[in-house]
Amino acid sequence: MWAFTIRKLAYNIPVYLAIVMLLMMLLRVRDPVAGMLGKNSSAQDYINKRAELGLDTPFLVQYGKLIQSIVTLDFSQDVWNEPGVTVGEKLRTAVPRSLALTVPALVITTIISILIAMLSAFNRGRWIDKLLVFFAVLGMSVSFLVYIIFGQYFGAYKLQQWVGTPVFSIHGYEPGIMNWAFYMLLPVLISVIVSMGYDTRFYRAVMVEETQADYITTARAKGAPQSKVMFVHMLRNAMIPIVTRVMITLPFLVTGSILLEEFFGIPGMGYVLLSAIRNNDFPVVEGFTAVFAGLFILSIIATDILYAVFDPRVRLQ
Amino acid sequence: MNVIRRWMATREARKLWRNKSALLAIVVIGMYLLTALFVMAGGISRDTCDTVVGSNKLPGFFQQDTPEKRYENATTKFLTKIKRALAADDVGGALKEVNLGPYLAADQTPAQLQEIVDQVETLAAELNESPNLDNDPSMLPKLAELESVETQLKAPLSPWDQFIFNTSICLGTDSQGRSIFFRGIYSIKIAIQIGLVTALFSVALGAFLGAAAGYFGGWVDHVVVWIYTTFSSIPNLVLLVVLAYAFTNSAAKDTLLPVYIAFGATFWIGTCRVIRGETLKLKEMEYVHAAQTAGFGPLHILLRYIIPNTAHLMLINFSLLLIAAIKSEVILSYLGFGVKNQPSWGIMIRDAGNNGDVVGGFFWEIGFATVLMFGLVLAFNILSDALQDAFDPKHV
Amino acid sequence: MVDKTIQQDKPILKVRNLRTSFKTGRGTVTAVDGVSFDLYPGETLGVVGESGCGKTVTNKSIIRLLPSHVTMYGDDSVVDYRGTNLLGLQEHQMRAIRGNEIGMIFQEPMTALNPVFTVGWQIEEALQYHTNLNAAQRRTRAVEMLRLVEMPNPEKRIYEYPHQLSGGMRQRVVIAIALCCEPDVLIADEPTTALDVTIQAQILRLMDGLKEKTGTAIILITHDLGVVAQACDRVIVMYAGQIVEMAPVRQLFHNPQHPYTKALLDSMPKPGRVGHQQRLPAIEGTVPSLFDLPDGCRFADRCKHRRDNCEASLPDLVSIGEGTAESKIRCFYPLGDVKESGAAS
Repeated sequence: MWAFTIRKLAYNIPVYLAIVMLLMMLLRVRDPVAGMLGKNSSAQDYINKRAELGLDTPFLVQYGKLIQSIVTLDFSQDVWNEPGVTVGEKLRTAVPRSLALTVPALVITTIISILIAMLSAFNRGRWIDKLLVFFAVLGMSVSFLVYIIFGQYFGAYKLQQWVGTPVFSIHGYEPGIMNWAFYMLLPVLISVIVSMGYDTRFYRAVMVEETQADYITTARAKGAPQSKVMFVHMLRNAMIPIVTRVMITLPFLVTGSILLEEFFGIPGMGYVLLSAIRNNDFPVVEGFTAVFAGLFILSIIATDILYAVFDPRVRLQ
Repeated sequence: MNVIRRWMATREARKLWRNKSALLAIVVIGMYLLTALFVMAGGISRDTCDTVVGSNKLPGFFQQDTPEKRYENATTKFLTKIKRALAADDVGGALKEVNLGPYLAADQTPAQLQEIVDQVETLAAELNESPNLDNDPSMLPKLAELESVETQLKAPLSPWDQFIFNTSICLGTDSQGRSIFFRGIYSIKIAIQIGLVTALFSVALGAFLGAAAGYFGGWVDHVVVWIYTTFSSIPNLVLLVVLAYAFTNSAAKDTLLPVYIAFGATFWIGTCRVIRGETLKLKEMEYVHAAQTAGFGPLHILLRYIIPNTAHLMLINFSLLLIAAIKSEVILSYLGFGVKNQPSWGIMIRDAGNNGDVVGGFFWEIGFATVLMFGLVLAFNILSDALQDAFDPKHV
Repeated sequence: MVDKTIQQDKPILKVRNLRTSFKTGRGTVTAVDGVSFDLYPGETLGVVGESGCGKTVTNKSIIRLLPSHVTMYGDDSVVDYRGTNLLGLQEHQMRAIRGNEIGMIFQEPMTALNPVFTVGWQIEEALQYHTNLNAAQRRTRAVEMLRLVEMPNPEKRIYEYPHQLSGGMRQRVVIAIALCCEPDVLIADEPTTALDVTIQAQILRLMDGLKEKTGTAIILITHDLGVVAQACDRVIVMYAGQIVEMAPVRQLFHNPQHPYTKALLDSMPKPGRVGHQQRLPAIEGTVPSLFDLPDGCRFADRCKHRRDNCEASLPDLVSIGEGTAESKIRCFYPLGDVKESGAAS
């Protein structure tokens, strides 16, 4: 098992280093300093800024420094228009807010989608299956944005009018568990509704394929009740691709849902990243995307390991 | 021709034709394509999409504005332009230049026009006494009179122009007074353009790299896998945004090129993985071994044996990527990084969201854009499903 | 629920007029059309026929493993097991029978076992459903079963996963699972087809030995006449959803009555039988599609001995003799004794 893990790490580290290099190159296509300072800056300002950001040093030196920052998780450069606030601080405050949205959404979506998919898979071909698939396809054909806009309208604004008091906040964010339901529940629900179409279809496909396997027939011939066949035999096997998929989406939990944060004004990682891009805030963009990519690679490794835990066939490779 | 005829006779193709909803989907897609061609041939120009044709946020289906809005429309804009022209030095010339959308100044003498203007102002003053026309039904006849008088300032429209005008406002106007109907239809062209170009490019690149990686193995495979792992480590949205950021203020700003590159760089990965997997399987097939033994070169084998047997996967991927492109465009345009200076569904939805359309109860812009997009995406979803049913033996 | 005493001369399973139809996109198709036979305790009954002749569907009908929302049984079809009609049972009642009284094993040992559970777990699962043994007792019994199926080192094998075993070993596990609750009937659907010949012989021998020890009756489905010759006491030959001949095994091989049976026997390659340059006598034509069955004898269009009235009406299944010596034939013109019809062609 250990050899397995080490192999995975060894393979993925060069990948990560390459990604960081790619990102850095992309971000330097346009001169970051010019973007940050705007048109009315003097030549002296320009030189100062370049030095401050370390952009006058050779590329490899900058690369080394960035890698160092990532490894030590210490981003001490200031955010552009918030002097005194380091990029690191911004990361630390923004990430939990994104997680407060994405983690519940993921948990709820996964549970509901698996249940619906099981319902669909075991009644394959009957009317309930067709109905569920139909709605899934319909749901997938509408843009995320439309769900958000209408969600905000009907879920918050109109609901408030009908009920009399605000049930969900239309906009904004306050930290704290007590405030969570008010500010976050609606975006979470929207996120769930949007993902359910895709997830249900995928899980259903996985489950139907497993349901047609020979070992299911053997289990039935043994006299196993339907519940055991579904939850023990089929699900255990179906979990392998399902877990893989869930794991791959884990890093996105940290990015937060950029759209939802934009719309609902939740200052999570996605929101901050987007503002940074709009404001040409170079340090923030660089730091955030590098950290994000790192998390993604880690999740790939974790997925491979989890895969081995679930599927005995993989362990002996 | 023969290739097509032979393919149509295969079991898969026949299964596809038997699927009624798939056929319906194909018809719908065909209609969208024709519309896009129509737009491309000049049926609806960008200018048409930018012209103000009426008041802001006019509701569709020829409903009338609220009385307050009607009052405002009748007493500003066109009236103001006429008044300014009448006060100009070269009255005749100034009058000739007055137009608002389809309307031109009527062919009457300045004196006659002045008379009409005075009439309008008198009526307007009377109506002004009522604090809020929306709540005052007794004033409606007077308002109608005001409108009919004001219409006399406008040169009558030819039947064709009248038809065009009616079409333009049949679904209302957006917050800047532009025709929702025309903008929505024009967006079909943008959507299909983005979808087709992106999907074609992504499938072509992905299939090429995937087949090469799968067939040649060795360092080619390592390089390709390494490239796509790298690209997929960055979440799609972040990569799109970063790429779009890299393109702002560049020469290609106003075109769709940034969008193409952004999508192209992220969408090829899925196809690459799938084709590579399939190639790895096909490589072990006996007919490939036979061909290799017979001395056929790799290019020949790739083109004649591998690619045709992955064609169904490429088709399915093409369909799925097209959908992804259309939906991603909406999101990208919303964030400000997508289509610029042209109408698109993303832009329309964004406008509707940002300009308080929905909050104000005005659903025409977002509704039309969503319905059009829904139709196309749903049709492609159904088609992708049907294709997978027909071609992929393991599909459920 | 059922009377567990076995009487040697009474059939333990009586199938009468079994008709199984499926609702498909292209209409209703009858895969099994009027099949009737008896199964006696301790015997091995072979069911032979080409792919698609209805052997598997017949047997899955007995154990009710067909998808219920598209499967229909004939109104007068009866599957009588110890006095109860299995076709009329509810699902939870059937479950008590499956694995417990009637077991079934399938063709593909490579995929028949659940890859994520150990072999021991899978045997113990069956015991869990049908017996009152506690965990330790189940474990012991599982080891016993593995020993019974001649698995080397059973105490260790219990903890292994299916992918760690070879095909032959997996099939032994499958047999162990099927027999661990001591069923009276074992339905074996092509258990050796996916195995190579040497393993095939071992498995058949194993099944025979087990039958001696436990007294289980076996229905052995196969398309391989060699397997039939080796393992079966009586044989049923099926064609296009119907039984065309049934006879004790020796009689079938030495004195086949139905032209189809004869043609099958002739098409088997036998060393020395066929000369060097001669072709193997294959049966001309193809099996009729179940959607488009002829009115008369279903084999008529391929039969060398066909006469005028064969295609006009369907012959009935005629029964001669009784009990385990019974034979049946569905043909207007059975071939008669070998000695009478001259040398085999």
